[in-house]
Amino acid sequence: MANPSPFRFISLDTWAVLLAFAAALLVRFGIVKSVPW
Amino acid sequence: MASSAIRTSTPTIKTETVPPASAAALIPGILLLAVVGYAGKFIEQFIAHYGKAHHLVLPNIEYVLWAILIGLVISNTVGIPAIFRSGVATYEFWLKAGIVLLGARFLLGDVRRLGGLSLVLIAIELALALTFMTYLGRAFKLKPKLVSLLAVGSSICGVSAIIAAQGAIDADEEDSSYAIAAILLLGAISLFLFPLVGHALHLSDRAYGLWAGLAVDNTAEATAAGALYSDAAGKVAVLAKTCRNATIGFIVLGYAIYWAGKGQAAEVQNKGAFLWRKFPKFVLGFLLISLLATVGFFTKPQLAAVGNLSRWAFLLTFAGVGLRTNLRELSKQGARPFIVGAVGEIVIALITLGLVFGADHWYHL
Repeated sequence: MANPSPFRFISLDTWAVLLAFAAALLVRFGIVKSVPW
Repeated sequence: MASSAIRTSTPTIKTETVPPASAAALIPGILLLAVVGYAGKFIEQFIAHYGKAHHLVLPNIEYVLWAILIGLVISNTVGIPAIFRSGVATYEFWLKAGIVLLGARFLLGDVRRLGGLSLVLIAIELALALTFMTYLGRAFKLKPKLVSLLAVGSSICGVSAIIAAQGAIDADEEDSSYAIAAILLLGAISLFLFPLVGHALHLSDRAYGLWAGLAVDNTAEATAAGALYSDAAGKVAVLAKTCRNATIGFIVLGYAIYWAGKGQAAEVQNKGAFLWRKFPKFVLGFLLISLLATVGFFTKPQLAAVGNLSRWAFLLTFAGVGLRTNLRELSKQGARPFIVGAVGEIVIALITLGLVFGADHWYHL
């Protein structure tokens, strides 16, 4: 998919990694307590 | 991203996306992914509850298959309206985020053991697959660069590898369009065939996951083919496919040097920078999360929560696999690249199946 203009300075691959780490850290530091499935 | 760089002339395929003006333009498509994915999950749960309530034994069809099927029906009947297209194309973004998060469900020792074994098998598979595809393409008198693209696409990483190689070897957009169409169509077929063959051969979760990760081309399809078999098989398929993805830069660099040597592509000036540019960064993210999980950075409930986040990310991915597959458009791309791709895929599937049986025999997967 195309990288939206404001985010072009970082590749989407890297954005995916950053998003995943941000989500994992939210869980690690108790901001997100549980994730149902 | 798979479809990011696809700017096809003729013939065009439906994976083409127009760059959105802002991130907000992605929202409708992402919502569509969520609705289709959740509908798949809802149908799976509904059937299970209905069977339980009425004391019926109903087949347990995973949400993965429902999400893909719903997406396929929408894409091949009413089509995807333009407002949704750029958001739907984010499915590979969610795939990569999901793979990174999945790292939390692997201890580094597992990654080393299974990943090491995968890399050995991948090296054998790459050597055989690249050689076979090259000879097959020549036998069918396909254009040499189209043969290179098909070889890269079917042996490493599907669409992403073709796009990476297209720029590196200065291939025609038409050639990459043919190669992408063949790989996508074959990926859609293998998605349904692999679980059937795996069950027929009574493959263990690990053996099947390794096979799917080694043989199914696109990362999204490999993940889905693994998850369709079982959760454990899905995990192993992602790990094996991630190892395969990690080789993309080296193979594309090899082809770039080959075509530059023939004077038909630009010289690669800085090979280190080239490798880094082509290296899929989510592989590093996956390893880092796995390392954090191994050293006890997360508690057990937190690991379960991170694992579930990865499932939600994959849910969007599976919806996207169905939604972006337009069989009519793909079948318009000409028979010869498809035949070469299909014969190559069958041979690669058999080679990798043999490798997995061998690994199972010697290493007891």
